[in-house]
Amino acid sequence: MRRYETIFIINPSVGEDEITAIIDKTTSIIEEFDGSIVNLDHWGLKKLAYPIKKELQGYYVFAEYAGKPEAVAEVERIFKIDDRILKFMTIKTQDVFVADAPKAEAENTEATEEEAQADA
Amino acid sequence: MPPKKKIFTRRKVCRFCADKSLVIDYKEVKNLRNFLTERGKIIPRRIYGNCAKHQRQMTEAIKRARQIALMPYSGQMQP
Repeated sequence: MRRYETIFIINPSVGEDEITAIIDKTTSIIEEFDGSIVNLDHWGLKKLAYPIKKELQGYYVFAEYAGKPEAVAEVERIFKIDDRILKFMTIKTQDVFVADAPKAEAENTEATEEEAQADA
Repeated sequence: MPPKKKIFTRRKVCRFCADKSLVIDYKEVKNLRNFLTERGKIIPRRIYGNCAKHQRQMTEAIKRARQIALMPYSGQMQP
């Protein structure tokens, strides 16, 4: 198991229900691959630094989880298909998942992380 | 020729080495913002005297923040 963090930006024009639906779907995919969510954070509506798909604002969701690489591939595959996702980024923070290291992990972060990003 | 005037410059110390509590994280845009020009370019390390390691981590973080639209690739950054 590895530790990943994913940020994804949802189109702000979709409703609250759809946002929760997308998040539920994402978490269920991660759990399907025997992963577990560590931290799920709604950053909410934020201004984008540059327009994406002609949108100036986006709804940011941050998820930190333990999972397998296949889980990430599946999550990203779904994100690519979904029009409502403006952009997403997944970063590996730990090669081997250590359950409770919310702060200590920050030191390791730079050494081990690796980017798996794809344009939405 | 007169002897070349010696210019004394204070040795710059990497602020991340000096203060271990500063963590470089792409999610914390507030800290990264100090290392950008008004135009959104990354400031070279000869200016602030960052060490190579931390400058590398910082550029990495800035580039990540750019990817996920927390920071602009170019142009002014809105507060």
